[in-house]
Amino acid sequence: MISNALCFGNEFPASGAPCVVQVEGDGLTIIFESEGTEGAREVILFSALTVSAGGLDHDHLVVKWAHALGERTLYLKNHDVIRAFRQAAPDQLNAPFEQAAERVRQVRQRHRVLWAAVGGSILALVLGLWFGADLLVEVAVSRIPVEWEQKLGDSAYRDFLAHQEVMKEGPAVTALGEMTQRLTEQIPNNPYKFEVTVVKSDVVNAFALPGGHVVVFTGLMKKADSGEEVAGVMSHELNHVLQRHGLERIVKSLGLMTAVAIVLGDQQGLVGMMKQVGVELLTLKFGREQETEADVKGLQLLQRAKIDPSGMIKFFERLSEKDEGRMEWLSTHPMSTARAERLKAELAALPKKSPEPFTFEWKQVQASLGSQPVVAP
Amino acid sequence: MKSEILYPGAFPMVRVDLAAGESIKAESGAMVACSPTIDIESKMEGGFLGALSRKFLTGEKFFFQTLRASRGSGEVLLAPTVPGEIVILELDGVNEYMVQKDGFLAGADAIVIESKMQSLSRGLLGGEGFFILKISGKGTLVLNSFGAIHKIELKPDQEYIVDNSHLVAWSATTSYNIEKATSGWVASFTSGEGFVCRFRGPGLVYIQSRNPGSFGAWIRQFIPVSE
Ligand SMILES: [Zn+2]
Repeated sequence: MISNALCFGNEFPASGAPCVVQVEGDGLTIIFESEGTEGAREVILFSALTVSAGGLDHDHLVVKWAHALGERTLYLKNHDVIRAFRQAAPDQLNAPFEQAAERVRQVRQRHRVLWAAVGGSILALVLGLWFGADLLVEVAVSRIPVEWEQKLGDSAYRDFLAHQEVMKEGPAVTALGEMTQRLTEQIPNNPYKFEVTVVKSDVVNAFALPGGHVVVFTGLMKKADSGEEVAGVMSHELNHVLQRHGLERIVKSLGLMTAVAIVLGDQQGLVGMMKQVGVELLTLKFGREQETEADVKGLQLLQRAKIDPSGMIKFFERLSEKDEGRMEWLSTHPMSTARAERLKAELAALPKKSPEPFTFEWKQVQASLGSQPVVAP
Repeated sequence: MKSEILYPGAFPMVRVDLAAGESIKAESGAMVACSPTIDIESKMEGGFLGALSRKFLTGEKFFFQTLRASRGSGEVLLAPTVPGEIVILELDGVNEYMVQKDGFLAGADAIVIESKMQSLSRGLLGGEGFFILKISGKGTLVLNSFGAIHKIELKPDQEYIVDNSHLVAWSATTSYNIEKATSGWVASFTSGEGFVCRFRGPGLVYIQSRNPGSFGAWIRQFIPVSE
């Protein structure tokens, strides 16, 4: 015979003694098969039993009775035995049993309802995030202090500089300092301390890191026809920082759970995660909306600083044309005529301001970079 | 089928002797060596979707391997990934065990392995994830742990409290509730710790003497982070 129940009691192992339970008209017959209890047989009348539901999922029928050696407990899971028990047992036993069964049903029902609720809320969350993710990211970003942003930017900046040759002084550094000065003067309540670094490299590129480090490559300066063109790129990059576009990308790429954690106040874990992505900041690609925002806000900033905004547009237009140089900036800033057109329209809507020229002579600045000024095609 | 634990302690191995035609299921990657008479079948239990859902829902490896002595009797050597003890249980056909997903090493072909969805609170707070393995049937079951395995025997209604990350396996006749070990829900949630299981007998609870999560955290502090 195959065991269909486990019997627990003082003289049995803790895992229970496998046994065969047979339901008779007036009670249960229990036949033990395990070693030591071979062939032992016990008959218990229904009147001596109490029943309940038990086990991990409340799906066992638990039968207890008093035995000379202490209380004994039987765990039944076999459906046939449970059915036979319910048919044979008197009503007063079935009543608590019905209650137990009802409890099992309730527990299962509750699990189903809970899972349905969880499924529903996950669906709602997914839908909500689908439409509200940007909002969540925005809220999360707004909760990150500027100091953290700076720390993050600093570490990425140091990583970057380890492989670069920096131009510490000279007309180019002075010129960029003047541009930065004029632009940042026009930023009200600026929480960032912008620091511009000139890197000696023929790569046509410039980028800004969260927190305020701006890096301009000499290659970009050689490519520009005027200081206003470089100032246009600078103004664009400064606005990536001011609008915290880098943080938005990080929070997005770290995932929504992180955003939720930040919103809920767990910002500690973020520091570590941000450190992990710190290096990736250098290759961070902004979204199209962020580029447009940086363009438009950059244009407005130029206007306020009385730097001729047409330089920015001209530079963008020239970049959108084919070029044999290593235009790194283009890999993160895909140019299109639509982009320049949009800026032209934006410029037309702004009130006219007479621009004030820079104090430096751009051709001289370019000459100090050690190459002939590039003539526009 | 006969099995024996070699080198008991932190770095054990199991030798399983298979008669011709016999087979065992093992966690994929558990096989260390075997006789040339043994064939390794990477079977997807429960079909492709079943295997896929097991992978994604329990984080478990894609396959169980079936090691079959199809060309005559032979032996198989099995070992777990992490240092820790191995324990061999003989399932009697009545007792069923819940095993947290990393605890399963191997089992006789006749034992039945099911992925089981836990109740919400247990899944969310229990630390074993939403899916655990339910193992039933008759035959040998080989479990492994991180650290040493300790067996707790519970009499009917006897209670015992276990930190959830130390759980390896427990019999289906036990029941448990998740309880908060400390005050402060946010701390408990974010750290992923701080929950304990209050087990109630009768039955057996197998626990491991080391906590894999804590060990991971301890290791991480020695891994240099570029500043
Ligand atoms: Zn940009």
